[in-house]
Amino acid sequence: MGPLFNATDEWSFVIALVIGIAFGYLLESAGFSSSRKLAGVFYGYDFVVLQVFFTAAITAAIGLLFFEYFGWIDLSDIWVNRFYTGSAILGGALMGLGFVVGGFCPGTSACASAIGKIDAMLFLGGFIIGVVIFDAFYPLYAGFYKAGNQGPIKIYESLGMNREVFLLLFVIIAIASFVATGYIQQKISHKSKKY
Amino acid sequence: MEEVKIQQNTPRKYMNPYLAGVLLGLVILFSFYLTREGLGASGAFKRGVAKVEQIIIPAHVNSEKSAFYHYVKNGEDPLKNRLVYMIIGVFIGGFLSGAINHRLKLKLEHSPKITSKTRAIAAVIGGAIFGIGSAFGRGCTSGAGLDGMAVLATSGFVVVGMIFGVGYLVAWFFRKLWI
Amino acid sequence: MSDTRIIKKRYIFMASVFIGLALLLVILPEKSTSKQLKPEQLLLQINDNNRYVSTDEDARKIIAGDNYMQLIDVRSPGEYVEFHLKGAINIPIDSIFNKDKNGDYVYEDILNQDVKINVFYSNGTVYANQVWILLKRLNYKNNYVMKGGLNRWIETVIRPPKPSVTATVNEVALYNFRKAASMYFGGGSVAVPAEDNAPAPIIKKKPKQEEEGGC
Repeated sequence: MGPLFNATDEWSFVIALVIGIAFGYLLESAGFSSSRKLAGVFYGYDFVVLQVFFTAAITAAIGLLFFEYFGWIDLSDIWVNRFYTGSAILGGALMGLGFVVGGFCPGTSACASAIGKIDAMLFLGGFIIGVVIFDAFYPLYAGFYKAGNQGPIKIYESLGMNREVFLLLFVIIAIASFVATGYIQQKISHKSKKY
Repeated sequence: MEEVKIQQNTPRKYMNPYLAGVLLGLVILFSFYLTREGLGASGAFKRGVAKVEQIIIPAHVNSEKSAFYHYVKNGEDPLKNRLVYMIIGVFIGGFLSGAINHRLKLKLEHSPKITSKTRAIAAVIGGAIFGIGSAFGRGCTSGAGLDGMAVLATSGFVVVGMIFGVGYLVAWFFRKLWI
Repeated sequence: MSDTRIIKKRYIFMASVFIGLALLLVILPEKSTSKQLKPEQLLLQINDNNRYVSTDEDARKIIAGDNYMQLIDVRSPGEYVEFHLKGAINIPIDSIFNKDKNGDYVYEDILNQDVKINVFYSNGTVYANQVWILLKRLNYKNNYVMKGGLNRWIETVIRPPKPSVTATVNEVALYNFRKAASMYFGGGSVAVPAEDNAPAPIIKKKPKQEEEGGC
């Protein structure tokens, strides 16, 4: 029964490398190596980010629950990020701002750098500067960073819902967003063609 | 037709986003199945920074004053971690896809309305803001967002909601950068 | 035009597959997800004597005020009130599987965690062993049995036998320790009602995974 390897096991380094290659390959193939394509999600001309992102999330989420149902994986043993209310909200907000200004996120900038995008390399440089800044002034907000720890809480627990019902809703919302964004994208690209 | 295109080395079309999404979802699924953890990108850079700090300013990183104290505690090597190998893989994978699909080219991509210099400055500033954000968010779009949503973690949904929510809120102010 | 229609059909198909799978998860009967141990594994564990902790070790830890050990008295509440070891909490064998109104085991937070080690004791070892096996079957961790139970405790810690003249240095040291422990636990009298009746702290859910960001 999975997970088969511990994350600190040396085999997991090899597996991580292989998974990383697949991850990078897919990001590049889907067009995530272009900042203008990525930023399109915020201006309605290209929703590829949203489409890839949510398709991947629902695929993995459904897969994990089926794996658990067949007894292949122990879901209580896999890593779940802790939820620190204030820190997560601020972090998400800054990332949203950084995404619009910089046009990348760390994973996409790494694979864009690999194919020679200079703006991606600059973004990565900026990212490292940001990490250093965070570390340099860490004592100022260490309290905030560690406040409001709710542990590895799940969204359906936070909402007080049944897990499977939540997942079904999530899938329906994701598909609805695909339909809606497809429609918007068509309209906007028609409009831009006129000009 | 196809043959001619290859000979001309024009970049090929991108993969269908839904197909890429399903494949990416399967990669995440197997990552959890094999190693109990999902994907991640920012962790490797944080560890890289911790490594450099360990060499040049060990007094700082080896104290509670550093956010990366837990990476180096007990004299551990911060780079001895799966996320570091994963980011190496991302570089290799991205390069492979670029090579296969004829997209390898050194260029600075920007909207025709702005200069390369503007784009360069925006990229660095955006990166820095993202860096601080991903430290607070305990992971970036992939580690906190994508993994988080895959395991239905509250943190994942909150982070993704904030990224897109704030993204749309501020998009109007930065529209000149892109359209 | 017909091309886009085929693509549309594909998307409708894909969307139905996703919704169908998610719906299936909702409909599927709840499978008992308990991670019970297989009988073979259980047998192996039962034959393994690692589950025993000696009375001397226990005495040493109680005196040292070891916060990482939780003594659990599995005898009846009556017997517990009459005499129990310092710091022990009472979970009678017939109530280990008591459930609260949500259907969760009341004592799971205590019996299945990584923070403390639990040491069960009864008068002999029979009941403590039974509890241990039942919990092992549920794959609960960190549980041990006090070797010989309270009977051995009294024999060794409270009324230690004098070492023979030919005893080795170690044996003498052990005797001296037991003597001292005996004083600590109230001399020869067993009828000492243990002084602290305060309920032991209940450990909240496991802080299992290490503190490290995902990404």
